[in-house]
Amino acid sequence: MKRLFTGWSWIPWLTYGAAAGLSVALVLIAGGSPAASARALIESSVLSAPALGESLSRLTGILFSALAAVLAFRGGVLNIGIEGQFLMGGIAAAAIGPMTGLGAASMPLALLASALAGALACLPAAWLSESRGVPPVLSTILLNLVFAAAVTWAVRGPLRDPAGDYPQSRPIPDEQAISTMVPGTRITPAPFLALAAAAGLAVFLWKTSPGLKLRAAGDSPLAAKSAGLSDVKIRTWVFLGSGGLAGLGGGLEVLSVTRRLYDPFATGTGYSGIAAALLGATDPLGAILSSFFLAALGAGSRAMEREAGVPAAIATIIPALAVLAVLTHRAWRERGQ
Amino acid sequence: MAPGRIHALLGENGAGKSTLVAIASGQLRPDTADILRDGRAVTWTSPRQARAEGVTLVPQHDLLVDNATVAENLALLDPMAPFFESKRKRRDRVARAESLFGLPLPPPEDLASSLPVGSRQRVEIAGALLTGPSVLILDEPTAVLSPPEVQTLLQALRTLSESGTAVLVITHRLAEVFEAADDLTVLCRGETVLTRRVEEVTPPEVAALILAGSEGGSRDEVMAGLSETDSRKIEPPRRAATSGQLEEDLVLEVRALATLDSKVPSASLELKPGEALTLLAIDGNGADSFAAAIAGLRPATGSVRVAGAPVALGDPGSYHDAGGAVIPADRRLEGLFPNLTLTENFAVSDRRRGFWLTRKSLEEDARARMSRFSIRASGPEARTRELSGGNQQKVLLARALTPLPKLLIAIHPSRGLDLGSSASVRGFLRDALEEGTAVLIVTSDPDEARLLGAPIRVMYRGRLSRVLDPETPVAELGRYMAGLAE
Repeated sequence: MKRLFTGWSWIPWLTYGAAAGLSVALVLIAGGSPAASARALIESSVLSAPALGESLSRLTGILFSALAAVLAFRGGVLNIGIEGQFLMGGIAAAAIGPMTGLGAASMPLALLASALAGALACLPAAWLSESRGVPPVLSTILLNLVFAAAVTWAVRGPLRDPAGDYPQSRPIPDEQAISTMVPGTRITPAPFLALAAAAGLAVFLWKTSPGLKLRAAGDSPLAAKSAGLSDVKIRTWVFLGSGGLAGLGGGLEVLSVTRRLYDPFATGTGYSGIAAALLGATDPLGAILSSFFLAALGAGSRAMEREAGVPAAIATIIPALAVLAVLTHRAWRERGQ
Repeated sequence: MAPGRIHALLGENGAGKSTLVAIASGQLRPDTADILRDGRAVTWTSPRQARAEGVTLVPQHDLLVDNATVAENLALLDPMAPFFESKRKRRDRVARAESLFGLPLPPPEDLASSLPVGSRQRVEIAGALLTGPSVLILDEPTAVLSPPEVQTLLQALRTLSESGTAVLVITHRLAEVFEAADDLTVLCRGETVLTRRVEEVTPPEVAALILAGSEGGSRDEVMAGLSETDSRKIEPPRRAATSGQLEEDLVLEVRALATLDSKVPSASLELKPGEALTLLAIDGNGADSFAAAIAGLRPATGSVRVAGAPVALGDPGSYHDAGGAVIPADRRLEGLFPNLTLTENFAVSDRRRGFWLTRKSLEEDARARMSRFSIRASGPEARTRELSGGNQQKVLLARALTPLPKLLIAIHPSRGLDLGSSASVRGFLRDALEEGTAVLIVTSDPDEARLLGAPIRVMYRGRLSRVLDPETPVAELGRYMAGLAE
């Protein structure tokens, strides 16, 4: 089991402490009570079935995005375009049901299409990087704008629901959607699919030959060549795999949470995934914990604002502080070596 | 160090030579130290201060600005350079530096990037002399030079010291010490073990002292290396039983290979099973590019066949599929996966492995390789960046030679290794040859080429010389390396 935890360290979790201290200070500055805020935050994110359902429904998208980031970063590809690939997955899922008219059978098809759409969304960046030397950081982050615009166009154009006045797609009918397992809550099978994907990715990375080659190419592309690996081929697969995971996250978001595509859609989920990957030591199992942390914060933030009078925006500052703490810690550790 | 004398600093890798001169020249701050300058204790907080006090270091790898001309580079190195300066004044400075150094410098308007490594070094040394040093420290100045260039440099250093400058030279080459130095100091694991006048000691005594700190390799092996008669010479390959199938017999067949960096216009080469060839060249003459292109590491045109199978140029996978392996020039940058463990570094290119990796078989394999190649590490789960240079190189050998490839290309396999480690690297290469692997070695060190004992071809400006006997004297090899013979 120890191998599964390679790259794992308890220290990132210690840095949460420092970040938490700063968060408490922020709550005080905002004129709230830290204790009341924390109580509201926890009660409305994990302490009841509906609250847990709310957190879990947010977990799906963040965790799939985090896994996309883990795969990309381990393979040496700085894919910052997870946000955009997530959106393309959402568009595909929203389009398949109404277009095929297959009824219940369209659900797996929609998921497949969303993964494919996410992977295809990576192709321009992969091609630019490998044949033109354009850094993926730049190309993927710029493509995010393009794909956000694609959502804007889709919900006003081909996917628009003719029944309403809003720019949104037609609702996914119940038989095509991923429905709740526990009546009265938003607990669906989707987050458990994400957990299974995390376990699968961990096994792939640490226990298989292709996973080792991927991590090797990510550690040193030049050394990969000397070891007889085709680093270009590996990076292309990493791009496609990462985009596919992000797209699947977007598809599940539409099918299990929102049931529609609208504009703007699930803003920031892809970026939260990147933050979760960094907080989780770019390890799929670490990403589970950090993704749940971010999801719970998001779920509880409204209640915190309502009940403790602290702006919900603080819930987005907290993970940012945590990421900064982890990155500082990492830089410090590397300097020491 | 005394004025007017050349002092040689010797020691194995990791003995502390570079650290010592870094402290002496203000680059590093010591934990504790007494630095005496003309009998007066000094503390230096920066290289600038040390230079102002007359102590200047010429680093091992020059720090010239590639996009600047020779004149501009010298202006940057000159502490007295004014804020505004005309081109003519800068040209004058080149002439002045030339007269200080006593060796010709390249034309003032040439870009540093266009200069061969020997000329760049001259610019760097001339720049150091502009600071008017009374103590000049040179970190391995001869490592990148051809034998004639080494002679010229040593001559110039001799002239400098006669004019009163104290010169300190770090080197791995004992022959140079006994030829040019007045005094020598041997460092071993961070301690001075010997400081003498050169005429008071003999080369074998000094070698024995240096080796006390060696990283590996048996003492006998090393002493054999020093006497330049390695016990096991490389034998010519055994003839195939049937002589009718010469074509299929070739393990490596390179036809009209041209590298895209245009360092090699067109070169051809053949190797039979169990055959070895040493490519000897001064850096920058294309030998590295040529060998890397054969292994698919660099883009090139032409045709390469390994064991009869055509290799797709620029695709390292196809070279490895055909039965080739490579030890790249820079082990840290191009060879190792620094953040992966030893087991992972071995398993990554092991084509015998299936889809699933089991911890037990990985570890058994790693332990077997560690003992076969005497790799010293805290365990098979150690990350390779934690290993010493000699052990890192052995990791690459263990990876490339398990299972034995049909062809091994080893680019500077013992560069930067101490005597003991390079002797054991040569031993592993010979073992592979005896098992039938063909080996192509690239080196820039003529002594190393002779020690390897394989036929030598010199590459000068991308062209291969005829095949030379490994017994060819260094001076003669030097003529080929400098392009004076073909």
